Amino acid sequence: MTKKHLPLLLLALAALGSLPFFLSGYWARVLTVMFMYGVIAQGINLMSGFMGYVPFGNAMFFAVGGYSTAVAMGAGIPFFLTLPVAACVSVVISVLIGLPVLRLRGHYFAVATIGVSGALMSVVQNVEFTGGAMGTTLPILNASPAQASVFFYLAMLGLLVVANVTTWLILRSRFGFGIRAIRANEDAANSMGINTTLFKVLNWSISAVLTSLSGSFYAYWMSFISPDEMFNVMIAVNAIVILLVGGLGTVLGPMVGAVIFQFVSEVAWSSFGHYHLAVLGVATIIIVALIPNGFVGRFLELRRKRITGQTEEGAR
Amino acid sequence: MELQLVCNALLLGGVYALMGAGFSLQWGISGIINLAYGAMVILGSYLSMVLFNTFHIDPFLGIPLSGAALFILGAAIYRGILQPLSKGGMVFTLILTFAIRLILENVMLVLWSADYRTIRVAYGGVSFDFFGAHIPLVRLLAFVVAMITVYLLYLFMKKTKTGKGIQAVALDRIGAQAVGIDIQRMYLVNFALGSALAGGAGALWASIYSFSPHLVGAVVGKVFIVAILGGLGNIWGAAAGGILLGIAETAGVSFFGAEWQESLGMVIMVAVLLWRPYGLLGKKFFA
Repeated sequence: MTKKHLPLLLLALAALGSLPFFLSGYWARVLTVMFMYGVIAQGINLMSGFMGYVPFGNAMFFAVGGYSTAVAMGAGIPFFLTLPVAACVSVVISVLIGLPVLRLRGHYFAVATIGVSGALMSVVQNVEFTGGAMGTTLPILNASPAQASVFFYLAMLGLLVVANVTTWLILRSRFGFGIRAIRANEDAANSMGINTTLFKVLNWSISAVLTSLSGSFYAYWMSFISPDEMFNVMIAVNAIVILLVGGLGTVLGPMVGAVIFQFVSEVAWSSFGHYHLAVLGVATIIIVALIPNGFVGRFLELRRKRITGQTEEGAR
Repeated sequence: MELQLVCNALLLGGVYALMGAGFSLQWGISGIINLAYGAMVILGSYLSMVLFNTFHIDPFLGIPLSGAALFILGAAIYRGILQPLSKGGMVFTLILTFAIRLILENVMLVLWSADYRTIRVAYGGVSFDFFGAHIPLVRLLAFVVAMITVYLLYLFMKKTKTGKGIQAVALDRIGAQAVGIDIQRMYLVNFALGSALAGGAGALWASIYSFSPHLVGAVVGKVFIVAILGGLGNIWGAAAGGILLGIAETAGVSFFGAEWQESLGMVIMVAVLLWRPYGLLGKKFFA
């Protein structure tokens, strides 16, 4: 990405931004979910693509955001002021959990995040102020359905842009080099003077904030949330499939992956009905077999090969 | 009353032990977190049901048959999908095994619907008193069968050449290769063996409790906890972890109430991960 791409990007963004005024409610909804998954996948990408830690239970921050907004709005706080609340709560939780759990590596970290997510879900199910296992309702946006659809479309699109710009900025910073050094070799990074604990926890809180904000918008959009839905492991699984399709460890991978994934799963739903889960499974296996680096990863690989004549060794 | 609780905990734990052993082997030795494990267990339950309904084979005799079927399926999955495609590391194995879970789950839903099923054997109502504790015969049989199976597995790992080969690969992959062990074959046998245990545990589960494709996720949650408690790849560890989980759940329900049952196991798991990541019984031995 260089300066000459910038006008092109802004143009594409303007086109995407004006799209909901022409689309039917159904397609606006499909695209809104697409943007939401782009954000969640970017959150996982920050952790697994750049730092090498797979947060398999990252959907818990989606729930944290949704529930922070629901509880705060229940107390009479207007929606936009609940976003900083959600961000703060997710930072606190990610730091509290991250300090012990980020000491674990590899498989153990992935599993511990699933465990923490399950435990957090039980808490939400069993305490009073979250509405328990039955779920809770939020105030409905005071607008016509068409206006609401445009509002949530633009909000999710905006969040996606924020997520991608954040990731891009991180990668150009010292912090970005630090987390990639952790992926390459954590012990070496540590001995070179990188504060690995700080970097890991900080990176997880950034990931948590992005994920939780998408949860906040989702909760307000649906105006009803339940623990089963918000903590569903399928959210993280879909996001990881999106990452693999788009390209793990690339800035644009999550967005590209979300577009392809959302399209494939719409087709699977509408034309295979009862078999749509199996079709999704088979499609995932085929994608992993054919393009293990994802579409963006493959594109970068081909371009690098064309420019330098290098072989695939040393790509990424 | 207390004796009844202890008996319940042990009998429940026996089933968890067998269930967790296969998952622990696959994770600790083949290095694969098999998210399809729950689907394999429930598939074993359905196979046992089909054998019982169609051929009138007793569910306890159905255990080895379900196990054999899942052994073949596991070998096919490892050779066909996991071995060639999981070079990219953990993200890939997680997502591939999850894809397999979705396929198996979907097939079960279509074949047998989402309804909860049970197997009713003629001796299902038989039970006896043990110093005032009420013990159903099928549950005791299930416990005994589970423990015998775990013991046979232990013998296989200690006494046979293949079993020793698997242990060698787990200890030191490169060293094992250097002394001429076909490591990919060991991974294959080990993964298939783990799948067979899933099938057997599923058949065992079906002889006591009801089952449905909806249980797939819950089973994965249980085996995670059992495997972590016992230490990965450690057979006796898994057995102890299973019984410990049985005790923790039974005690948790009677002290805190049924709604905290799930989270108690999760909290114990995270605590063990942080405190002794190699398991309560384990040595610092696996990567």
